Amino acid sequence: MKKRDGVRKFVEELILAICTLLILVPIYYFVIGAFKPRKMILQKPLILNAEMFTMGNFPRAIKAIRYWPALKNTATITLVAIALLIVVSSLAGFAIARIKSRFFETYYSLLITCMVVPFVACVIPLVVLIKNLGLHGNVLGPILIQAGWNIPFATFLFTGFMKGIPGELEDAAYIDGCSTFGVYWRIFLPLLAPVIASCCIVSGTGIWNDYLVCNTTLSATKNPTLMVGIYQFFSEKVNEYGYAFAGALLTSAPMVVLFLCLQKYFIKGITAGSVKG
Amino acid sequence: MKQNKSIHRSQRERQRFTTGLLFILPSALLVAVFVLIPCFNVVYLSFTDWNGVATSPKTFVGLKNYVKLASDVSDFGTMMIATLVFALGLTVLTIIISFAVALVLDKKGKGRLPRGFLRSSWFFPTLLSGTVVGVLWRIMYNYNNGMINKVIEQCGGEKINWLETVGLTNFAIIAAATWARLGICVVIFMAGLQGISADLYEAAAIDGATERQQRKFITIPLMAPSITINLLTTSIAAYKSYELPYLISQGRPGTTTLLLSQRITFYAFQTMEYGRSSALAVVLIAIITIISLLQLAVMRKKEDIT
Repeated sequence: MKKRDGVRKFVEELILAICTLLILVPIYYFVIGAFKPRKMILQKPLILNAEMFTMGNFPRAIKAIRYWPALKNTATITLVAIALLIVVSSLAGFAIARIKSRFFETYYSLLITCMVVPFVACVIPLVVLIKNLGLHGNVLGPILIQAGWNIPFATFLFTGFMKGIPGELEDAAYIDGCSTFGVYWRIFLPLLAPVIASCCIVSGTGIWNDYLVCNTTLSATKNPTLMVGIYQFFSEKVNEYGYAFAGALLTSAPMVVLFLCLQKYFIKGITAGSVKG
Repeated sequence: MKQNKSIHRSQRERQRFTTGLLFILPSALLVAVFVLIPCFNVVYLSFTDWNGVATSPKTFVGLKNYVKLASDVSDFGTMMIATLVFALGLTVLTIIISFAVALVLDKKGKGRLPRGFLRSSWFFPTLLSGTVVGVLWRIMYNYNNGMINKVIEQCGGEKINWLETVGLTNFAIIAAATWARLGICVVIFMAGLQGISADLYEAAAIDGATERQQRKFITIPLMAPSITINLLTTSIAAYKSYELPYLISQGRPGTTTLLLSQRITFYAFQTMEYGRSSALAVVLIAIITIISLLQLAVMRKKEDIT
């Protein structure tokens, strides 16, 4: 019996190792491809050695997708939208979790329902709206859209977290004459750091990686963004593998670095949504 | 005195409620302007024949756009089949693989590979944008130069035309999307598994339950909430998928892999049929809503039984 368990354990680990390897192969192929000339990507897809190593893809990719201005725009959109999102959603979450009222409960259900609506379905009215507001080709457009579309999930996170905080602190503060805003500001906000981190990461990745919003509300020539840049470059030059890989690596790098530094919060943010379906 | 106190309290409560209103105001404004109003607008536009030019009239045409969609049977059918196959394939594959992986990853102990590293490896692809995943897999699937065919050739097999074969291309985009989705589901399943108390398994083992019985009667029932959430989020993500499958297949061969979400923007920005595009958008919203409700209802029932 013991021996059979050992064999089973070994087989399990072996299959797991092979599957993990399979998952990693595309990433490996793409990362080493960024450092190889096109010819070598074709001839020896899975090998990288000193002879074929080159940094030559990067300058070309940086120029083709206009990396620096695109990085600036994408970073601006992501950071400002996230800041707005956190202020607005933590306030709403506080009201929903901490002030008893039918009205706030209804508002919460409405927000949860909004989570189901796909962005792509509303793309026409949104483009029209952005044009009417005079925001076409202005990064403020995607900032407001992204903040708005991420509010339901963020409020869900904040509300869930704030419901779990015991009420004694709050009661004590009210007795001491603290205002409602004071309770939010002094008691709750300092406790929110982990949710803020999770929210930043989950919504931040989504906004950073977004293609559709940027493509429909910005003009690609006037306001380049990372994902639109890659998409257009690749659509025009399908065969430039080395440049495409180098460009993809450059646009993904900031998220990967963030993940490696803040892994714990990535996992927390994703599971927070699943604890209470 | 007592009455005075209660008046005092209700006054305080009213004051808190007013502050609360101020607190939800900014988020309500943003959601209303950028989510709700556009959403209602799409429904309205789907009953008009608007061509997208601001000055041209929006004539009410009733159900004409929907009739037009449905009467174009072969086209509509192809699109719906492509979309359903994609969503179903992505959801089923992702749930099965990620559940199996989570079960094995959850086991720790001597002689096992490092868990943290493995979990990160599975999570890694989810960090990449749909655009990057699309570009990467398009290159991998390339008939002459792609990595997959190169490897097949080197192993002595015959090259496969991944992106020009009806049926196979559907699978190709499903595989790429699954690769990019697995990590999230694995993480959610692992969180669910860690929430199951070890005592349950111990008690079952003392009562003589085999590992398979334990899995059937403890793990799976207790994992029902995680399964629900993964089913829901993955199938919704599938219907929303846009640039990832498009970059890989461009809807080819023919239009057999052109998905509903991609048709919406095609009608809107290529052929300028805003009414038709909006009608399709309403269909998409309806599909996602129905699926969410169905899945919630089914899983709730199951959760109640167990």
